[in-house]
Amino acid sequence: MSKPLFIKLLLLVIVFAVVPFALEGLGKGYYYQIATLAFVFMLLAASLHLVTGVAGLLHLGHASLYGVGAYVAALLGSKYGIGFTYGLPLAGIGAAFVAFLVALPTMRLMSIYFAVATLGIGQMLFLVFQNWVDVTNGPNGVMLFDGIDLFGYAINSELGIYYVVAVVAAVSILILNRLSHSYYGNALRSLREDDQCTAAMGINVTVMKIQAFVISAFFAGIAGALWAYTTGYISPNDFNFSQSILILTMVVVGGLGSLPGVLIGALLLILLPEVLRYFGDIRNIIVGLLMFGAILFLPKGLFGEVNALNFARRILGSAWSEDNSEKGIGWK
Amino acid sequence: MKLSRRTLLALTVASVMLPAASQAADSIKIGYQLPLTGNTAQYGQDFKDAAEIALAKFNASGQIPVPVEIIYEDSRSDAKEGVTIARKFVDDKEIVGVLGDFTSTVSMAAAQVYKRSGMVQLSQTASHPDFAKISEWQFRNITTQNQEGGVNAKWMIDQGIKKVAVIAEQTDWGQSVVKGFVDPFKEMGGEVVYTEFFNRGLADFRSIITKIEEQKPEAIYTGFFYEDGAQFLKQVAQLNAGIPVYSTSAAYNDKLIELAGAAAEGLKLTATFLPTRADANVTEFVTEWKKTHDNAPGQFPAQAYDAVNIMLAAVVKAYPDVTRQSLRDAVAATKDFPGVTGNTSFDENGEPLKELTKATVKDGVFVEVK
Repeated sequence: MSKPLFIKLLLLVIVFAVVPFALEGLGKGYYYQIATLAFVFMLLAASLHLVTGVAGLLHLGHASLYGVGAYVAALLGSKYGIGFTYGLPLAGIGAAFVAFLVALPTMRLMSIYFAVATLGIGQMLFLVFQNWVDVTNGPNGVMLFDGIDLFGYAINSELGIYYVVAVVAAVSILILNRLSHSYYGNALRSLREDDQCTAAMGINVTVMKIQAFVISAFFAGIAGALWAYTTGYISPNDFNFSQSILILTMVVVGGLGSLPGVLIGALLLILLPEVLRYFGDIRNIIVGLLMFGAILFLPKGLFGEVNALNFARRILGSAWSEDNSEKGIGWK
Repeated sequence: MKLSRRTLLALTVASVMLPAASQAADSIKIGYQLPLTGNTAQYGQDFKDAAEIALAKFNASGQIPVPVEIIYEDSRSDAKEGVTIARKFVDDKEIVGVLGDFTSTVSMAAAQVYKRSGMVQLSQTASHPDFAKISEWQFRNITTQNQEGGVNAKWMIDQGIKKVAVIAEQTDWGQSVVKGFVDPFKEMGGEVVYTEFFNRGLADFRSIITKIEEQKPEAIYTGFFYEDGAQFLKQVAQLNAGIPVYSTSAAYNDKLIELAGAAAEGLKLTATFLPTRADANVTEFVTEWKKTHDNAPGQFPAQAYDAVNIMLAAVVKAYPDVTRQSLRDAVAATKDFPGVTGNTSFDENGEPLKELTKATVKDGVFVEVK
C-alpha cells in the first residue's frame, strides 16, 4: 500500500469510526457540538483555501457567503418547508449565485484592491442580513424548527447528525482537494505566483478568478446550511467580519496552499479556545499569543507552500513601490 | 475566581488526598453563561460581580442546608460558544438550571439546546420578542418593550403629546422598541409622523434630526443605549431642536449624563432600577456593590442580581427535591418577587411583569417622576 493511500484510509477510519466511537463512549453533547463545529469550520477553511491559499487572492468577506448559505437553508426550511435534503444543495447554489453576481464587477481587481473589494462585499452582505427585515427577519434572526431530514428519514440522534455533517464535510473537502491538486489547481497556483505571466501563457485570469471564487462560495454555503441545521437559530452576527478573519486565520496558521495544513489550522482554532477554558478569562490572550508566535516562527504556517508574511507584503505592498522620480517612493 | 467544571474535575481527583475538597459534591449547581471576554465583556463582568454578591448573601443566610454554587462559562457573546456551553451545562447532570446569556442572539441559539434537553434558562437581558416564547423552559428578567412602550405612550398622552417621531437602533431590540410603542400610542389616539432605524455606533445623527424637525413632532421616542443616546442628545441640543426626548430603560445609565452633560437635561425615560430609590433591597445591593466599584450599579447588573435571586428563591422552593423539572416549575411560579428592579412575576410565557418607574434627568441626576 502506498503511503498517501494509507494516510487517507487512516483518516477515514479516524473520522468515521474512531471519533464517533469515542464520542458515543463519552456520551456528552458537548463533545458532539465541538466535533460538528470543527467540521463546519474545516469546510469553511478548506473552501477559503481554494481562493486564498491556492489562487492567492486575499479574501476578507468569506463569512458573508457562509451566511448566505445559512440564510438560504434556514429561510427555505422555516418559511417554505423545504427540508435539509434540498436545502443543503440550494444553500450552496444560493451562495455561489450571490458570489457570481458580486464577482462580475470585482474580479478584475488586483492584490490589495481585490482584498478591499471582498471586505466591502462582506460588509454589504452583512448589512443586507441586518437591514432587509422583510426577508431575512433582520436582527431578529431566523429560527429553524425542523431537524435534519434526509430523504424522508428524520435524523435525531447525536450520532446520526455527526455522520451527516462528517459525510457532507468530508465529500466537500475531497472535491476541494481534487480541485486544488489538478491541472486546474496548478493554473490557480500560477495565478498566485504571477498573474501577468499566467495571462501571457493564454490563461484567462479573470474567468479563473471568478470560477475559484464561485466554487469556494458554493462550499461556504454548504457549511452555512450545516451550521443553520445543527444550531436551529441564526442571526446576522454569526457572519460578521470577525468570523471572516477567523476563517482567514485558520488558513494562514495552517499554511497557505496546503489543504491538510488548513484543516489542522481550523481544528486548532476551534479546539484551542475550548481546551483553554480552564484558564478562564485569559484564554483568548493565550490563543492570541500562540497565533502571534505561529506567524513569527512559522511564517509558512504549519505546512504552507508560501511564506504568509511575504505574501502579505506582496499583496499589500504592490500598490506601494519604489519610484525613481524625484519623489522617491509613493503610491502607484 | 469561581470553580469551572474542569477545576472541579481536578478537585475531585485531588479529593482522594484532600478530603475537604469533596464537599463541593453536595452543593446545588447553577450554570451561568455570559461574556467574560470580548466586545461585551464589561457587561458580563458586571453580571458576574452582581451574581457573586447575591450568591454570597444567599449562602450565608442558610435558607437551605446545602450551599448553592454558580459555574460561570465565558461565551464571548459568540453564538458558537454559547451553544457549546449550553451543551456542556446540559451534559453535567448536577446542573439544574441556567442563567444567561447576555445578547439575544447567543441566548436564543443556546435556548434551542435547553429546549431540547429540558433545562430552565433565565436570561437577565435577552430582549428579543420571541425569546421567552421558544419553549416553557425560557424566562427573562428584563421588561419587554410591549410593557415599556405602553407606559411611555400613556405618559405622553397624559402630557398632551399627540405627534411623535420614533427612532431606534437597528437590532432585534430596537425593532421591538418601535413596535411596542407605536401600537399602543396609535390606539390611544396618537400619531407617529416619522420612524427611522440607525445602525449602532452612528456618529452623526444630524440628518435624522433634521428630518425629524421637518415633521414638527411634539416629542421624540427613542430606542438606544447610553453611548448612542449621549451622541443623539448632544446633537439635538446643538441643533437647538427643542423637542422633548423620551426613552426606555436601556438609556438609563449614569454614563449617559456623564457623556451628554447638559444636553441630557430633561430626558424622560422609564426604568425599573433606580439606585437612589428608598428600598431596603436596593440600599443593600448598592452598598455591597460600592465596596468593590466606584460607581453605583446600573440597570443591567441590577437585573442580573435579581435574576440570580429569583433562581435562588426557586431553588429554596424546590428543595429538597431540586431537579431540572421542579426548578423550572418553581421559577415559573415566581410571584411578586421583591427585587431591586421592582416586584417581579412571570406570566404564562415566561415574560416578567414588573412595575416601571418614570424618571427624568434633573440637575445632572436621574430622579423619579411621581
